Amino acid sequence: MKKFLLVMLVLIMFIPILSACWNQKELTDLAFVMALGIDRGDDNLYHVSFQLVNPANVSAGQTGGGQGLPIAVYKSKGRTITEAARNATKKVSRRLYYAHTNLVVVSEEVAKDRTLMLNLLDAFARDPEFRTTTEIVISRDASAEEIVTTLTILDKLPVTKITKELKFTEAMKGENMSISIDDLIDGIVGNGKEPIINGYKLIGMKEEANKAINLQKTTTDAFLAADGLAVMKDGALIDWIENKKSRGVIWILNKAKSTDITLKWNGKKNALSVAPIRSKTKVSTAFKNGKPVINIKIENEGWLSEANTAIDLMDPKTMGKIEKLTEKSIKKEVQSTVKEAKRLKCDIFGFGDVVHKANPNLWKKLKGDWNNYFANLEVNVKVDSYVRREGVRTNPFWSDINK
Amino acid sequence: MSILSKMLKTKQKKRQDDNYKQKQDPQKPEDLPIFRDYQENIARIKEETGNSSDVNIREFKIGSHKGGLVFIDGLASDQAIADYILESVIEIEVPGGPIDIFQFMMDEAMALGNVKTIEDWNQVFDSLFSGNTVIFLQGCNKAISGETKGWEKRAISEPSTQLSIRGPKDSFTETLRTNTALIRRRIKSPNLRVDSMKIGTVSQTDIAILYIDGIANDKIVGEVKERLQRINIDSILGSGYVEQLIEDQTWTTFPTTYHSERPDVVTSHLWEGRIAIICDGTPFVVTVPAIFIQFFQAPDDYYSRFDISTGIRILRILAFLIAVIGPSVYIAATTFHQEMIPTTMAIAIAAQRESVPFPAFVEALIMEVTFEILREAGLRLPRAVGQAVSIVGALVIGQAAVQAGFVSPVMVIVVSITAIANFSTPVFAMAIAARLVRFVLMGLATVLGFYGIMLGLMFMTIHLCSLRSFGIPYMMPLAPFNLHNQQDAFVRFPVWAMKNRPMFISKGNMNRTGENQKPGPPKQSENQSKNGEE
Repeated sequence: MKKFLLVMLVLIMFIPILSACWNQKELTDLAFVMALGIDRGDDNLYHVSFQLVNPANVSAGQTGGGQGLPIAVYKSKGRTITEAARNATKKVSRRLYYAHTNLVVVSEEVAKDRTLMLNLLDAFARDPEFRTTTEIVISRDASAEEIVTTLTILDKLPVTKITKELKFTEAMKGENMSISIDDLIDGIVGNGKEPIINGYKLIGMKEEANKAINLQKTTTDAFLAADGLAVMKDGALIDWIENKKSRGVIWILNKAKSTDITLKWNGKKNALSVAPIRSKTKVSTAFKNGKPVINIKIENEGWLSEANTAIDLMDPKTMGKIEKLTEKSIKKEVQSTVKEAKRLKCDIFGFGDVVHKANPNLWKKLKGDWNNYFANLEVNVKVDSYVRREGVRTNPFWSDINK
Repeated sequence: MSILSKMLKTKQKKRQDDNYKQKQDPQKPEDLPIFRDYQENIARIKEETGNSSDVNIREFKIGSHKGGLVFIDGLASDQAIADYILESVIEIEVPGGPIDIFQFMMDEAMALGNVKTIEDWNQVFDSLFSGNTVIFLQGCNKAISGETKGWEKRAISEPSTQLSIRGPKDSFTETLRTNTALIRRRIKSPNLRVDSMKIGTVSQTDIAILYIDGIANDKIVGEVKERLQRINIDSILGSGYVEQLIEDQTWTTFPTTYHSERPDVVTSHLWEGRIAIICDGTPFVVTVPAIFIQFFQAPDDYYSRFDISTGIRILRILAFLIAVIGPSVYIAATTFHQEMIPTTMAIAIAAQRESVPFPAFVEALIMEVTFEILREAGLRLPRAVGQAVSIVGALVIGQAAVQAGFVSPVMVIVVSITAIANFSTPVFAMAIAARLVRFVLMGLATVLGFYGIMLGLMFMTIHLCSLRSFGIPYMMPLAPFNLHNQQDAFVRFPVWAMKNRPMFISKGNMNRTGENQKPGPPKQSENQSKNGEE
């Protein structure tokens, strides 16, 4: 009896192993989907482009590596994303694998259609393989397919180019910022903040973008570039915020790190350039007669990166003046952005959330019609700039020329 | 496991019976007393040894009394016999009249340090085969055994398996006495006990049990002796035999006894209250009880500064982990959890595996087995061909296999890291355990991925926690947790802070250092107050 029990115990211990190689997938049987491009076809179906990586052509070192194109794009269509993805398997010899997907490109056409746009997102949020930290962009003046098929020169993988570029432009210029599917869904769901999405453009000769010859030139015939921020309201694209104004959005969202500010000095245009290197934005709310007032406080610190005029930088008073000018410039930019958002009646800054946190009871009353309320909201901007240093030179050579 | 042991039990019984028969045979001489006629005695020795050519017999006369001495050529020193026995026997003047020639011989004629009377045949053969000279005298039913041991022995040389940078450079030899002397020289205390016994019914191997009275746990000393006495086997060839016959648990790959060829290591173990077992014929001394963390303590840990040795010890434990889970993590990550690999790395690995015809597990298995074969072959190769094999091995593993597309370069990296990590374990017995566990985990990783590895590691941990070495929990300072003994576990405290001996292993005298042992410049205030007192 005891022996029997022992035998049974040993057999039971082997049960976990009986699942065999369930869920096992060899690397060589996988097709890494790096990016998805989603367009709307004339047949009203999703036209999905799958950008697959061709590993042997990406990694250097291996003999024979680096020849041929690093990516291949397959297209399929379907009423839903899942249907399109399953249809694609008819064309691809390997299992499509989404765990390394870093980019979803949605065409402007799809983004403008609320149902089409919202129907996309659940598939991404639900799939266990797919990461919700995946970057999402909207293609401008080009189809998503065109963006996905474009070859890039510095990074072998076009996806890397886009995700890295967004990261660095966020840090160095501050007109675009990294936005993931997670951020987007949060924005759509919440009342107090509307989401924004980066716009992407294909500049140049579109028909050359997907050919290897595009990579043979120092100035590529066609290239990708971030351009503008899409403002989403109720899950659909309503308008774009362009360049300078888009920088204001990044300031208010406290994502700005470094950028460049050009100033006028003694009537000379483009005389000074200040580059903030650290910046902090605080959005708070006060209540005036029971009405919320938003106070934005931006504190930043930077250095003088250019002085193209005769100026006495040794004088602390001059530095103080430069600081004042910088503050004014930033303030103007932010205010114009707020104005633009008010025009669109879309609270992309999350002021609603601030009000919610400060006064939940009041928020209950306001949240139903917040975007309209936002259009008439009083917003104060206060900027505190500090120019810490002026590079490795004190007075510019301009001071000596004019003597 | 217990099923297996049950099946073995019936076989064991049979074997014991066989042993018993064997044991009886060589004990036959005991039955007969030593004859009064020395010639009869000599004849008997000749008969028992089958007239072996290395048994030397020389008859002599002391005064008017006849006698004969017997020794084994090669074991006994010719020089000693000629100088200290024969010369004095021939030259000595035997007083006339009735005397006890046996006592006279013992007292006056033997110029040796160790002379004993023996009274039965068992002892005769015993001392004969230990290199002593046995002397029979006409008319005496006793024999004299004079210590004339003098066989060729290997000189003390540098340790070959446990190297150290700052430590002493001597190591144990095959001779038991040399080994006990090496330890005695390091422990100049009367409390060092050296108990002897013989194991092996035929081989009659000398075993010495060393411990320090008052520091070692008496219960464990008793247990060790009891287990050694229980051994009933025809022959013992080395300490490895003894180890396997006294360990607590056979069904484990982890060593529950420690062995070392370094006298300094064994001495330090004795100071910690452990017990050393020296076996004649082996340069490896076994110490018990052994705990898991002990196998990661290298002699240099104590000779170099504590911060450095702590860092290195943690590195060693890390290396052990790599040696255990290295290939299985590779298998799990590339066949189950591709999402865990950074994108660029996943693509790079995928590119390399593009042309590999086997699944990751087979690929890993091929490489691991190839490496194990190379290592095993390299171990036993005659020195002259060793180099040829290492060149072929390096080419086969490193280049040809990759170029032929059988294995990916990543796999070569994984196998090499695993192999090198494996060698960083200071004690081979533990390193070899890691090798075995590694293959089991590779199988689990193939079937279940990281879940399988976790399952395997959990089983391993549970198993380790269940082990005992002479009653001491194997994972001792960690599970059960003991704060005091952490001083020499993952972190090696400065020498002055290692105040206690390990709990349970040592009983009684637990303190190693005195108070205020922390070194430093003299304190100003203390000096002044002292001066004031003076």
